[in-house]
Amino acid sequence: MRKNFTGLLAWLVQRITAVYMLLFIVFLLAHFLVDPPHSYPAWHGWMMGSSVSIATVVFFAALLAHAWVGVRDVILDYVHAMVFRVGLLVLLGFGLTALGVWVMRILWMERA
Amino acid sequence: MHFSIFRYNPEHDEKPYMQDFQVDLQPTDAMLLDVILRIKNFQDDSLTIRKSCREGVCGSDAININGRNGLACVTRVRELKEPVELRPLPSFPVIRDLVVDMTRFWKQYHSIKPYLINDEPAPEKERLQSPEDREKLNGSYECIMCACCTSQCPSSWWNPDKFVGPAGLIQAYRFVSDSRDRATQERLDDLNNDPYRLFRCRTIMNCTEVCPRGLSPSRAIERIRLRMLNVEGHGGGLALHRVPTIK
Repeated sequence: MRKNFTGLLAWLVQRITAVYMLLFIVFLLAHFLVDPPHSYPAWHGWMMGSSVSIATVVFFAALLAHAWVGVRDVILDYVHAMVFRVGLLVLLGFGLTALGVWVMRILWMERA
Repeated sequence: MHFSIFRYNPEHDEKPYMQDFQVDLQPTDAMLLDVILRIKNFQDDSLTIRKSCREGVCGSDAININGRNGLACVTRVRELKEPVELRPLPSFPVIRDLVVDMTRFWKQYHSIKPYLINDEPAPEKERLQSPEDREKLNGSYECIMCACCTSQCPSSWWNPDKFVGPAGLIQAYRFVSDSRDRATQERLDDLNNDPYRLFRCRTIMNCTEVCPRGLSPSRAIERIRLRMLNVEGHGGGLALHRVPTIK
C-alpha cells in the first residue's frame, strides 16, 4: 500500500470519479434519447469520433480507479492479517489492470 | 414492568446469560437508572452498573437499551418496549454485568492528543479568543465521553485498535477548530497519513443517531476532511440535534 494513496487522496478520487461517471452516463442517456443512432455503423461512427472516444476512455479509467478505492476499502475493513490483506489487494490490482487492458483493446480494436 | 438484563460474572459464570426481573414501577420512577437501582437494592444486589451523576453529564451509565446505546439516567423508563433488554455497550470487553472495559476507548482518545499544543510564550493572563472563535468549539466540546457513539459504530467494531472512532474524532475536531492551538497541520496529517485512523468512517451515522448529548460526530468528521482540503467549511460551531427517544 503506497503511503501517498492513503486517506484523503483515495477519498477524493472516489468522489471525483463518481461525479465524472455520473455526468458521462447522463450525457450518454440524453444523447440516445434525443438523437438515437439507427444502425451499427451510425453508432460506431458516433462513439469512435475523437471526443466521444476520449471521454469513453476517461470514463473507464475513472471506473477502474473508483472500483479500486471501493474494493480496497472493503478489504482494509474486513481483512486483518497482513498477508491476506496484501495478497487480496495485489489480486485486485492485477484484476483491475487486466480489465483496463481489455477495455483498451476493445476500444482500440474498434478504431482499427 | 418486565426487564431482561445481561448478567456475567467471570468468577462464577462460564458464559453470559439474560436474567428476567419484574418490577412494579413507583410514581417516582422516571428514568431507567431509578429502576436498575431499585432492582439492585430490593431484588438482586449482585447486579453491577456504573453510575454517578444521574443527570446525563458524566457518561458513566452508558448501556445498550433495546438495541440502542444510551444513558440509563436520562432514558424514560415508561416509554420502553417490554421486555426491556439491557446489555453492556457492544464490542467492549465485559468486566461484569453491564460494566465494560473502556481501556481501548481511552487509548484512542489519548492518541489524538486531546490537549492544547501551543509553545508560544504564555501571556500574562489567558490566551485570548474572540467570541466568534469560541463559537467554533460548540457542538464538539460538550462530549461527555460516554462511548455510546464509538460502541455503536460498525467501523469501530471491525477495527477497534486502528480506527480512532467517533468520540476520538469529534475531540480531534474540537482541537483542530480551536484558534489557540498551533499544531493544526500535525493533527490533520496524523489523521490523514494512516488510512485507518479517520478514513474507515463510511458515514454510517450510527454515532450521530445515538449521541445522548445531541452531538454529530459524523458532521465533525466531514469538517475534518474539508479542513484537510483547506476548506474552512461553514465557520461556526456544529449544531446540536434533538436526541431521539429510545423505545
